[in-house]
Amino acid sequence: MNPDGGLYIHVPFCHTKCEYCDFYSITLLDQIEDFVEALLREIELRAADFREVTFTTVFFGGGTPSLLSAAQLRRIWEALQANFRIDPQGEFSIESNPGTLDLPKLQAFREAGFNRLSMGVQSFNPQELKFLGRIHSVAEVYNSFENARMAGFSNINIDLMTAFPGITRETFRHSLEAALALESEHISCYTLIFEPGTVFYKRMLRGELSPLGEDEEALYYELAAEVLAKHGYRQYEISNFARGDHVCRHNLIYWKHRPYLGLGPSAHSFWQNTRFGNKRSLSAYVRHLKKGELAEDFRETLSQDDLMFEYIFLSLRLREGLDLEDFHSRFGQPLHTRHQAAIERLLADNLIELTDHHLRLSRSGWMVADAVAEYF
Amino acid sequence: MSMENIRNFCIIAHIDHGKSTLADRLLEATGTLDKRQMQAQVLDSMDLERERGITIKSHAIRMNYKTPEGKSYVFNLVDTPGHVDFSYEVSRSLAAAEGALLLVDAAQGVEAQTISTLYQAIDNDLIIIPVINKIDLPSAEVDSVKHQIMELIGCEEEEIVLASAKNGIGIEEILQAIVERVPPPMGDPNAPLQALIFDSQFDSYRGVISLVKVFNGEIQDGDGITFMITDRDYEVEEVGNLLLKRVRTKKISTGEVGYLICGAKNVRDIKVGDTVTHTKKPAPKPLPGYRQVKPMVFAGIYPVDTQDFENLRVSLEKLVLNDSSLIYEPETSSALGFGFRCGFLGLLHMEIVQERLEREFDQTIIVTTPNVVYKVTTTDGEMHFVDNPSKMPEPGVQEKVEEPLIDAHIITPPEYIGNIMKLTNDKRGILKNTSYIDPSRADLHYHLPLAEVVFDFFDRLKSVTRGYASLDYEFHGYMESKMVKLDIFINGEVLDALSVIVHKEKAYEHGRMICQKLRKLIPRQMFEVVIQAGIGSKIIARESVKALRKNVLAKCYGGDITRKRKLLEKQKEGKKRMKQVGRVEIPQEAFLAVLSADD
Repeated sequence: MNPDGGLYIHVPFCHTKCEYCDFYSITLLDQIEDFVEALLREIELRAADFREVTFTTVFFGGGTPSLLSAAQLRRIWEALQANFRIDPQGEFSIESNPGTLDLPKLQAFREAGFNRLSMGVQSFNPQELKFLGRIHSVAEVYNSFENARMAGFSNINIDLMTAFPGITRETFRHSLEAALALESEHISCYTLIFEPGTVFYKRMLRGELSPLGEDEEALYYELAAEVLAKHGYRQYEISNFARGDHVCRHNLIYWKHRPYLGLGPSAHSFWQNTRFGNKRSLSAYVRHLKKGELAEDFRETLSQDDLMFEYIFLSLRLREGLDLEDFHSRFGQPLHTRHQAAIERLLADNLIELTDHHLRLSRSGWMVADAVAEYF
Repeated sequence: MSMENIRNFCIIAHIDHGKSTLADRLLEATGTLDKRQMQAQVLDSMDLERERGITIKSHAIRMNYKTPEGKSYVFNLVDTPGHVDFSYEVSRSLAAAEGALLLVDAAQGVEAQTISTLYQAIDNDLIIIPVINKIDLPSAEVDSVKHQIMELIGCEEEEIVLASAKNGIGIEEILQAIVERVPPPMGDPNAPLQALIFDSQFDSYRGVISLVKVFNGEIQDGDGITFMITDRDYEVEEVGNLLLKRVRTKKISTGEVGYLICGAKNVRDIKVGDTVTHTKKPAPKPLPGYRQVKPMVFAGIYPVDTQDFENLRVSLEKLVLNDSSLIYEPETSSALGFGFRCGFLGLLHMEIVQERLEREFDQTIIVTTPNVVYKVTTTDGEMHFVDNPSKMPEPGVQEKVEEPLIDAHIITPPEYIGNIMKLTNDKRGILKNTSYIDPSRADLHYHLPLAEVVFDFFDRLKSVTRGYASLDYEFHGYMESKMVKLDIFINGEVLDALSVIVHKEKAYEHGRMICQKLRKLIPRQMFEVVIQAGIGSKIIARESVKALRKNVLAKCYGGDITRKRKLLEKQKEGKKRMKQVGRVEIPQEAFLAVLSADD
């Protein structure tokens, strides 16, 4: 049987760096062509190892993949098709910045084969967009969304950010309602995290910015869940909401411990109990691939314990929870064997629920998923 | 080497004023060490000493110095500990020297620690050579520091040597000043042997290695010797000089400093301050200054994981081989399980023991609130020594409680007297007398409860006097006091490790403070945590830690699951280091929460 998997392409370019973001990206747009060349080499080098995988999802993330030209996207797609087995019924996503989209570009995405568009909107309030360092305007969000529909995208995600300094219940509610009015198929809602190395983190250390704290964060989070649920969005994962069956199949691969291959600088992969990642530097990435070698930064083979722990904390993030039979068949033992005490304790504290087939977080466990995971 | 050509000296300096760097420079300049052998700061040999910049053990090192005129001298640098906890050890090391370099940082000026050691040196009749270090720093204020030193020791400006140990400035002048100003040792080579033990260390191959200064007579390999205070007899196995390593010389003559190995297996057998003499031809009396060192502060030490008790016991056994002042005996706590009640010289000593257990012996431990020893008379007329709050008799059967009192001398510039009065008043001090050493230095004589001093007195004294006041104290006696036992409850269960004995009038304030601190230190858990302080069954303070509200990273991690896993594993590790009391996880720091009163 061919295993299913996901394919991720990291496009490490942005017009400007957002001060909160810690994903790898640079602003030297004149190096895009070098990147594309190197990426094509990496695709060829990886092909042999992943021949038997059927990739059911392809996700272009970043960075800002929408900075790539139609021609560049086409070349990458052709290489992917030529080297990997890609399910024609798959989910093919591209992340975009609403400030980099116009109708011809969106049409080009469709022609290249993308059937899902993710828009990094973050907020519908001009001052907040400015605070977050986003280059796009609220008007551009509306234009881009309309153009995306016109180009034929019937599966669109909107990213929203919450719990950042300066946000209020009113402004957040406004963003949620504006997003709802667009009737996108999917909404992701992330809280701001002050990640080491970002400008926001330094500003926090200097005392210019302070995190809202867990009580406030919780309120924003619950507000999002409540408003979105009311409008028919199902919270199928901690940060992700979908209408109907428009869940993000690619991200589900991460949470369900399925294999994936990441290409491009800083991209991570998971394959045959091994996790590996590429160097977080475009120049190193390009240098290695020019020499015809992979640009891996690390590789670790997970122990059975690591694998179990990952499986548990990842699947707990899902509304459906952990599939007990799947766990048993993967690890050759039921979850209870190892974790009877933790399960009893968490049940007694009403933090988890146990059904015939699943173990999942309860309503009150949902907000403290990480603390629950630490019991395992 | 004739006694005329021997110079024994020490260096008095505040932390970070450059003592170790200067010592290294002197060793280099005298050719005792070449550059290849230099490891920064040779003298502080424990990692802990290097890191903290505090000398805990005394050391000695011998150097040969040839003057520009070609005369040869032997220098013995005696390095002394630098903290009030070790003031007795300091006084013994100082007794081994005839002179002292007073090293003052050109940017920082004179500080309290320097002053108290300096006065001890002056009391021991040491000749002081003032040195201003780091004169090449941009922030150096050489003139003002000169002024301070002149006021402090009443010297002339010309006597002050200007130096930068880091950059080798003034080193030759210092060496010459040692030759010219430090007097040679005195003593009678023909008199019966009198040698002072000023520190001992344990070596796993040789047993106890003691540092000695010979005051009269001489000591040789094979001599039958008697320790005059402990009245123990040994035979000398080996004596010699301390260079970078021990160099066996078979003999140490009058005025010299060296090491002595005599087959003792435990540092407790050889007391600092004892006098060595020949068994066959004993000196009429020991050298003056010996004191029995008694622990002043007691605290419980427990393994975080109760299974590690046996490891902790073995570690303590090894640790005391090299620390004769630490005493310990097993005890049990309902919250913490099996552990040890330990006696320390003071709070710094306690911290050092804690750090050594953690670093040298890899023990994960909890240290409970330190306390002093109370004398409690019960209604049946019996007297109890209470060195642990859990042993405090119930209030109903107490006839009277007495607490230890110290005789404290605080020496300070007069402008800080007001601040000191406020502090000592807060600490239940009774002013006995005020005198003036000179117009710029007052000597305040206090009776203070020791319990108040072990908390945070020294730090607060330094802060209210900008570091200018120095403190010296000794045990005075017991005084009747209204003391009560204050218990801390976590979700209704008493946490005996946090129980303290406090003065009745301070119990409310103290209970409130501990509760507030615990509230900040105990992380939010899956349920609300209620913290209470009470005397007997009466609750006097309450705080609560709200239940966890949100603990989940709502972030798009992409495929970087490794990072997420490591983050969770780190948090799991952190949890393991916490102590489980009932269902509540309490971090180690919480057990020290009561140590410092402010912040």
